[in-house]
Amino acid sequence: MMEDAELDLSPAHSDQNSPSPSISSSPSLSLPSTPSSSCGPPQATTPPLGVINEGVAELSLVIDAEVAQRACQEVLQKVKLRQVDSDSTLSQSEEGPDAPPSDPEGPAPGSVKSARRRQRHNPSKQSWLLRLFESKLFDVSMAISYLHNSKEPGVQAYIGNRLFSFPHEEVDFYLPQLLNMYIHMDEDVGDAIKPYVVHRCRQSISFSLQCAWLLGAYSSDMHISTQRHSRGTKLRKLILSDELKPAGPRVRRDPLALTPFCPAAPPTVSPGPLGGDHSLSPTKRTHQRSKSDATVSISLSSNLKRTASNPKVETSQDEDCSSSSDSLEFDSRPPVRLAPQREFIKSLMGIGKRLATLPTKEQKTQRLISELSLLNHKLPARVWLPTSAFDHHVVRVPHTQAVVLNSKDKAPYLIYVEVLECENFETSSVPIRIPENRIRSTRSVENLPDCGMTPEQRAGSFSVVPNYDNDDEAWSVDDIGELQVELPETHTNSCDNISQFSVDSITSLESKEPVFIAAGDIRRRLSEQLAQAPTTFKRDPEDPSAVALKEPWEEKVRRIREGSPYGHLPTWRLLSVIVKCGDDLRQELLAFQVLRQLQSIWEQERVPLWIKPYKILVLSADSGMIEPVVNAVSLHQVKKQSQLSLLDYFLQEHGAPTTEAFLTAQRNFVQSCAGYSLICYLLQVKDRHNGNILLDAEGHIIHIDFGFILSSSPRNLGFETSAFKLTAEFVDVMGGPDGDMFNYYKMLMLQGLIAARKHMERVLQIVEIMQQGSQLPCFHGSSTMRALKERFHMSLTEEQLQLLIDQLVDGSMRSLTTKLYDGFQYLTNGIM
Amino acid sequence: MSQVEKKAGLLRRTSSSKKPLKEKVVLMYDEIFAKEDPAKNNPRFWDELFLMKVNLEYLESKLESVDGEDVQRIQDNINSLFHHCVQALGEEHQIKVVNALQTLCALFRGVHQKNKSASGFDIINMLMGFDKAEQRMKDLMERLDSLLCGDSSESLKSLCLKLLLCLVTVTDNISQNTILEYVMINSIFEAILQILSDASSRGQHGYDAVVLLALLVNYRKYESVNPYIVKLSIVDDEPTLDGMGMVVHQALTEYNRQYKDKEEENQGGFFSTLTSMVGSMFIADADEKLSVQTNEAILLALYEAVHLNRNFITVLAQSHPEIDIAATPTTTTPTTPTTPLGTTPPSLDMMSNPELPLDPNLQTSNLLITFLKYASIVMQDTKDEHRLNSARLCLIILTCIAEDQYADAFLHDDNMNFRVSLHRMPMRHRKKAVDKNIPSRPLVCAVLDLMVEFIVTHMMKDFPMDLYLRCVQIIHKLLCYQKKCRIRLHYTWRELWSALINLLKFLLSNETTLLAKHNIFHLALLVVNLFNMFITYGDTFLPTSNSYDELYYEIVRMHQVFDNLYCMVLRVSTNTGQWKEAASKVTHALVNVRAIINHFNPKIESYAAVNHISQLSEEQVLEVVRSNYDTLTLKLQDGLDQFERYSEQPKEAAFFKELVREREGGLF
Repeated sequence: MMEDAELDLSPAHSDQNSPSPSISSSPSLSLPSTPSSSCGPPQATTPPLGVINEGVAELSLVIDAEVAQRACQEVLQKVKLRQVDSDSTLSQSEEGPDAPPSDPEGPAPGSVKSARRRQRHNPSKQSWLLRLFESKLFDVSMAISYLHNSKEPGVQAYIGNRLFSFPHEEVDFYLPQLLNMYIHMDEDVGDAIKPYVVHRCRQSISFSLQCAWLLGAYSSDMHISTQRHSRGTKLRKLILSDELKPAGPRVRRDPLALTPFCPAAPPTVSPGPLGGDHSLSPTKRTHQRSKSDATVSISLSSNLKRTASNPKVETSQDEDCSSSSDSLEFDSRPPVRLAPQREFIKSLMGIGKRLATLPTKEQKTQRLISELSLLNHKLPARVWLPTSAFDHHVVRVPHTQAVVLNSKDKAPYLIYVEVLECENFETSSVPIRIPENRIRSTRSVENLPDCGMTPEQRAGSFSVVPNYDNDDEAWSVDDIGELQVELPETHTNSCDNISQFSVDSITSLESKEPVFIAAGDIRRRLSEQLAQAPTTFKRDPEDPSAVALKEPWEEKVRRIREGSPYGHLPTWRLLSVIVKCGDDLRQELLAFQVLRQLQSIWEQERVPLWIKPYKILVLSADSGMIEPVVNAVSLHQVKKQSQLSLLDYFLQEHGAPTTEAFLTAQRNFVQSCAGYSLICYLLQVKDRHNGNILLDAEGHIIHIDFGFILSSSPRNLGFETSAFKLTAEFVDVMGGPDGDMFNYYKMLMLQGLIAARKHMERVLQIVEIMQQGSQLPCFHGSSTMRALKERFHMSLTEEQLQLLIDQLVDGSMRSLTTKLYDGFQYLTNGIM
Repeated sequence: MSQVEKKAGLLRRTSSSKKPLKEKVVLMYDEIFAKEDPAKNNPRFWDELFLMKVNLEYLESKLESVDGEDVQRIQDNINSLFHHCVQALGEEHQIKVVNALQTLCALFRGVHQKNKSASGFDIINMLMGFDKAEQRMKDLMERLDSLLCGDSSESLKSLCLKLLLCLVTVTDNISQNTILEYVMINSIFEAILQILSDASSRGQHGYDAVVLLALLVNYRKYESVNPYIVKLSIVDDEPTLDGMGMVVHQALTEYNRQYKDKEEENQGGFFSTLTSMVGSMFIADADEKLSVQTNEAILLALYEAVHLNRNFITVLAQSHPEIDIAATPTTTTPTTPTTPLGTTPPSLDMMSNPELPLDPNLQTSNLLITFLKYASIVMQDTKDEHRLNSARLCLIILTCIAEDQYADAFLHDDNMNFRVSLHRMPMRHRKKAVDKNIPSRPLVCAVLDLMVEFIVTHMMKDFPMDLYLRCVQIIHKLLCYQKKCRIRLHYTWRELWSALINLLKFLLSNETTLLAKHNIFHLALLVVNLFNMFITYGDTFLPTSNSYDELYYEIVRMHQVFDNLYCMVLRVSTNTGQWKEAASKVTHALVNVRAIINHFNPKIESYAAVNHISQLSEEQVLEVVRSNYDTLTLKLQDGLDQFERYSEQPKEAAFFKELVREREGGLF
């Protein structure tokens, strides 16, 4: 595609250089099918575009043909809109001849009438459209909406350009929509979107990969024959071929050059790093490495390959393999820029596939741990977790912490990942590998050169070197040190009420006077400590994740940090991710987007509903990653492990009903229940058994698994007919159906629905665009959108809405089907 | 050396059949052993020699038959032969290289055979000549290094390693092999590592490389600085260390498998003996031997790696998912179509069928698990010296592991659960535990199980005191770690307590016989101090409050053992004698145990009297214990949670010297 464009453009380019005002407003040229031919001429006529003209010319000299082309077209469009704008104020009849260029069907003779009609209609629309586009209110959401709804290539092209002016993260939210439109909608939309995507791909590795993954995933529903030649597949190939590397600094200026178009736009963030950094970092890195390497002092002969130092994830069969020289080129040579991350993801998926072949959870867990420990050998590397919010490099996977999650036939698993935060993962140097067992022996590493021998010494008689065995003792001392000397320290530090005794044992060494202790005290301390320890779940080989998830996140971070060789670094962070292999996460992604949107709507409208959208990374149509909700276990696990009712569990975890802690937890519970009740209703979330509802340490519930939403329900049994899940246990936690909190719950729902209704379009748009070309079960049937829209009840008054909420709540409470469904799940899946 | 010998064997046959007309090569050998310079008449003599197939037997016998006076006479020629061998190693012609390697092997062996009593210097002089020795050996080592590291054929590499092994093991005592001094100077360590780091070369030569390394590390370990020790201690390249671990893992797995096969053979009925008869026709004799002999060389390598290299510890826990499938047994029993249906033991089938990777009992294994299983086999029978040494080495390795923080961390890691089926000695009074019932637990449980198993199975007349001491110390080290890190291991401590109490009982009842040979008070002190650990620090590492009550229950229940022990040590400590001091230490250590017994016994008796019960149930005793803690005062003892760290020198030096000497004799 790139080549085509470039070929197309070369004449246009020359056109630009030789301005020809005479044909500037020739409408016949702007045929949508051949946009490139139309882009050149008009720009010279309008004086304010002079600046851009320069920019454009410059751009076209540098390879980025598409951007230039778009810019041209935008210019054209702008001219037209301007004219229309000014003309319309004079008289409407005069605009007739001017309008056709924007009509895509213009040349088709059969549709003249309709074109006319539209022309008549268009002018006024366009005039305030432009005002809207240039107003401060025009945000990404609107841009996407117009891009989707407008049939005017001009408008589409304008918006395509306008995308450059929005902050990256705002556009990123709509990336699935953008790409889905690119894949499944007509050429114009695609052409409007492509320059932006290509531009961003050049800038960022992570954006490139995101695009490639999403393009792959959303192309998969097409028929295999069309898929191969589709735009989406081509763009994906282009991205993965890694040709979209950052070009010279001039290209990187193009978003800046375009900003004058958009007065309302905030200064574009262009994180383009300085080229100089690239070349510097690798040399620095190797230098550090060699310095830190103890082996150097002993001058291991060079024929021993140090594969461990290879930061790449590829195994030796991959094209550029091993040897540290590669790692040098790693940063500076673009072709492998995407490779490490792709390999990293590939190995994670490979593990998932292999796990699925093992029959028992226990074997899966063991296998997972061993596979991950091998993966560790290839870390640190220039790889990162796409679900994270900050730039980082993955340095280690604490393999023993990984758990296999509950699933019948697939093997999703949860891993924790140690990362080092960095400025920019593309340019910052990859951290140096620290061997696994260096946690405690940092001292010995530094000492090594002293007690080892220099090459000179070695060359001479080796009797100069001190006897080795003694050295060994010397290094090992820190272990004894930890066992003996550190004792008082650690104890006083940790929890002194428990361990006065141990301190005593030290002091007694000095005083030499017999110290007496009461046996009762020891016994009491034992039971106190056991009681004091936060309630943990019992280890169950059939449910290995329960224990891991129950452990408070802070606790886990601290524990893993202590055990990690990288833990001492100030930029150390712990992340976690669920790797799903064999699952389609596109619906999850859709749900995430809707949840995020509703969350921001509620925030904007100041309704205290609480929901927790968790990040989804779609890697393909059947794999992906999920950001786990920390400090949360499923209701199923809560009930199975505690054998308590939900209310009793709340009392156990948070305290008596009148305590501050309990009340806070209860409020959290109510606010989250209200949020998720609405979501379940609006999105028709089904399969709501207790394994899919989490409870976090603060009392919030969090719904997970949006595998059945909108038009799909499990086995299409129509089992769960209630609007959402509201069991008697839930109501008990809220203080019963007559309590204040329960009323608060209903009130929150009402407020939430009113707020959502107000911004319904923002929600609908997300879903609607994704329906395009999709075979997802949630879009099954023809009434998905209509039904969704109806659930916002635009026509009802607020009083009527209140009635509706009451009905929904009553219906859900009385719903037998919820109970039935739980029983059904218990029978079939063993979920309580 | 089997390969070389096989070749020699082949040659033997041909040479004997053609005795009357001597082989050309033999004639050439004769020329070397004549006074004249063989190249004098035939300038291409050496070139031709290495094109001939080597006749090892003849060459060696010729070297052995050289008389004392002749030595001087032919030394020049032998030096020349050696020199040309080394040069031939650089030839492109593979045949020449092979022949040169074999000739060198014969030279080393022949010269040493002849001059067993001679000093190392004489041997060097005879082989290479003093003045040139340094250069010759340097060349030899460099050539070998480049052959091993280069892309020469696998059989050539294998031959290089055999030559090195031959050189290393040519003397009875490795440390007296002066030639090795040159191997120290011209290190081939890197070549060995390279072999281990690469998967394919590791598969073919890994075993030899690891054994060679273990032996080289033991050369003059205590007298001088051995560069191999220094180098091995700082290797941090994970693939290499992993490779080393994998070689050890495979060797131990193979041993375990053969043992299990054998065991099943013995237990099987008529059919299995039949199949084994049929099977044994196909099994090479060498394999049979292996299954009896413990794998001491590999064990020594494991020890050196664990002891010297801190990075190796991580390899212990490294599991290799692929290895389990790769290491499927090769000696499948041939099933003939006439076998009666259903008589094949299912376990045998499962073992030998490589198509069953999905067997739910198949576990991802790691080196540590394999090692523990191996240790459980070796420790079963410590009667003969070999096995005793192997068991001792196993315990030493475990000691090193128990002292290592990182190892302790993964031993206790709650997320790394494994089912480890240890081999248990068949004993009359207990049934063989069914493997499948073993729960999946942290690895430390398996270590503790192994220790408990050892304690209860070795209380015999020929008391392995040394092993018991190590065993109890390992437990102590693990407890210290648990106390320090406050790890509450869900382990059935009761089994350990009763094993320890039984051990004390055994010491008491065999006091006189044991005292003649051992300081039983030291062991008793360690055991009592283990109890003291539980009594005074139980709050930091016991899993439940009940377990503390149970500890008291166990002590009170077995109070007679402690009473008798106290009487005994009191008696010995009040008499003057060599054990006075040792015994008095035990009396002091017993103070808390006695306090507990003296405190609770009357309470229990009065409880029984008040409630008119003659025999209290466990629950009732526990109730008494629980309600009477507060009136009991214990004395705090110093240093319970401190231990002496393992150090090879000077304590274990003698053992390792002996071990290496034995290995040299026994292995090759």
